Amino acid sequence: MQTDARSAGAGPLAGLKVLDFTHVFAGPFCTRTLADLGADVVHVESRTRDPGDRYRSAYAHRNKRSITLDLKNEAGHVIATRLAMVADVIVENFSAGVMRRLKLDYDTLSPGNPRLVFISLSGYGHTGPRSAWTSMNMTLQAYTGLMLTTGAEGDPPTAISNSWNDYIGGLHGTIAVLQALADRAESGRGRNIDLSQFEGSVATLGPLLMAAAVSGQPPRRWGNRSSRTAPQGVYPCAGQDEWCAVSVETDAQWAALAEVIGQPALARDERLTSVVGRVRHHDEIDAAIAAWTRERPKAEVERQLQDAGVPAERMRRADDFVCSPDSGHVYRAVSGERPEPLLTPTVPFSFSVSAVTPPSGACKLGEHTHEVLRDWLQMDDAAIAALDEQRALV
Amino acid sequence: MARVLDLTRQAAVYATRLLAEQGHEVIRVEAPAGDAVRRLGPFLGGVPDLEDGAYHQFFNAGKRSLALDVATVEGREVFARLVPSAEVIVASAPLPLDEAAIRALNPGVVLTVVAGDELPELCAYARAGLLAITGHPGQAPVLMGGHVIYAATGAWVMVGIAAAMLVRKLTGQGQTVAVDIQQCFEIFLDHAVETYTARGRLTERRGHRGAVTPISGAFPAADGYWMLSLGDATERWLTFMDWMQDPVLAGDAALRDYDERLARRDVILERIGAWTARFPKAEIVAEAQRRHFPCAPVATALELADDEQLVARGFLVEVDHPAHGRMRFPRGALATLWDRDVALAPRLGAANHEILSELGYSPDEQGMLFERGVTGASLR
Repeated sequence: MQTDARSAGAGPLAGLKVLDFTHVFAGPFCTRTLADLGADVVHVESRTRDPGDRYRSAYAHRNKRSITLDLKNEAGHVIATRLAMVADVIVENFSAGVMRRLKLDYDTLSPGNPRLVFISLSGYGHTGPRSAWTSMNMTLQAYTGLMLTTGAEGDPPTAISNSWNDYIGGLHGTIAVLQALADRAESGRGRNIDLSQFEGSVATLGPLLMAAAVSGQPPRRWGNRSSRTAPQGVYPCAGQDEWCAVSVETDAQWAALAEVIGQPALARDERLTSVVGRVRHHDEIDAAIAAWTRERPKAEVERQLQDAGVPAERMRRADDFVCSPDSGHVYRAVSGERPEPLLTPTVPFSFSVSAVTPPSGACKLGEHTHEVLRDWLQMDDAAIAALDEQRALV
Repeated sequence: MARVLDLTRQAAVYATRLLAEQGHEVIRVEAPAGDAVRRLGPFLGGVPDLEDGAYHQFFNAGKRSLALDVATVEGREVFARLVPSAEVIVASAPLPLDEAAIRALNPGVVLTVVAGDELPELCAYARAGLLAITGHPGQAPVLMGGHVIYAATGAWVMVGIAAAMLVRKLTGQGQTVAVDIQQCFEIFLDHAVETYTARGRLTERRGHRGAVTPISGAFPAADGYWMLSLGDATERWLTFMDWMQDPVLAGDAALRDYDERLARRDVILERIGAWTARFPKAEIVAEAQRRHFPCAPVATALELADDEQLVARGFLVEVDHPAHGRMRFPRGALATLWDRDVALAPRLGAANHEILSELGYSPDEQGMLFERGVTGASLR
């Protein structure tokens, strides 16, 4: 086991102890990234909250160790505190006040562990008029302006069907932890980080917030069109719910597209030779393209346009990453409950010196309880057995 | 505080904004004619202008601007003179000097090279599987608006940079970080990929209804929409009925059963929408939050510019903009955390004279570079 980042070929966070009290997704996504960077992430779970080994997602549980502790049990709580005393980083995303009630908040812990970096990832942060609001990914997608920026004018609110805000919150959390650790290397001190997912997501829409602040108008909704080029859009192909994205960036590509769709006259149409003309007649062009794409499978549409030098990509789905060797390169096969491997992504970057920990399958609930007590607290078997008897380790 | 040289394109520009929020000195090396980020609309003031692009105004806040044409021999020479003073360089490929040359000039530098953003945004989005899960069922899928995907990829770039900067802090050693933007896109499909490989099920577009739980979605309000996510527990349903007092649903004992609610969700969602359509969204959300239902107004960026939570947390600050007067300025998520001020975005080439002088170019030499179009300089 590598001691720290100084060891050859170690991860950037090698040797770092992260105590992970997170659940759902934003928090686990942050700690999984810390784990991918080489940290020893110990995920505190409990059978009292999570009866039985349900399907455990590599999404949230890979590259981590899992311990079960009953935090409401006095002996279990003492262990949690002792682990917190040796941790470099604590990550939590409970509602405001929960960690304080558990006496596992920063103010309680930092006197005994002044190097502790403690990060709370909550919906709105722990201060301000919304701090008591309950939030979820979809409510944040709505409140941060994303759902009325996506789609075309007049569309209802439009969502992306993933945990978008949890990713954004988790990414900002990871960055904040890394920056706090860099500061700690200089100052010797940790800090308390009260991160708001709402603010992280609003920042991604910062430009439109500034524009609206000046104009007094809500942002335009562009749908699939571009402010810079035409034609651009998503065109229906043969079959049920199959589409191809096309983005014509140059006049030469426009001429090539016209040929491919069997309408060379469009390339000579004076109304359309410049992009200004093409944007003015975008609806007409879209109809012409769709008439051609509708008759063909999306793979053929993509191939014919790409062969002619026109930027085109068929709409891929999750199964494409399994079947196509030319996509999904960030994904790795890991073992799971099925005989076939699962796919889960690693980080989208590599280092020339530091190592990245490849993703593992999900560990079992409480799989590492005894091991972590030995590693982090140097407990012996007798002490661990005593804790088992006190029902602290469930 | 580190000196950072920023040669990023749109897919990575948020990373260097985050470095500026941390208090580092970020020098954005830009084409004298103004780069693509500067030229991206909308424009604050409604008229295209190299200083007014909203994406430039936000993502380049806190930075210094060096207007320099690195495609010229002279420009690369200026860049080479600047490299030794930098702790961090973040650049979208291709680099103005190759990596070996940069390392020879500055062996300890943290160099982040960003590639994989060659496809147009909409095409990259389709290729990454994200188009398939954005939009409404039965309609054409759609790109996430506001070029938000590029802010997310910029955040990933920053993770790589921050990790390498930490290693340098701890060990004194620099290194190169290689980031692939297409792979950043692909990660946001990971739940759908695991759902497919573990359960054989493909994730569908769900529009604004029924995300994870059946009784959820954006519902009409008198002045727009509000978003509700009720949760599966029967206790939550009963509390909601207690509030809504719907004549058809509240008294129906069969709906105490989750499966029954799932089967009849269309009717339920319809009736909730009809009920709340009478009330302003702020009012309905306040009442729902009092009962601990996860919900929020469906907002636009305009409403966010006045949001009381963002103001209270110090995320939104009042600034005197030289062109647009007093306005609300979003400091940024990390600047808010670290409570750091962030200056407004720089005028193109505003730092040219200072930086070129620092690098030892005489006034005559600076004049020559300007006359040849190697450098730009801002109008004062």
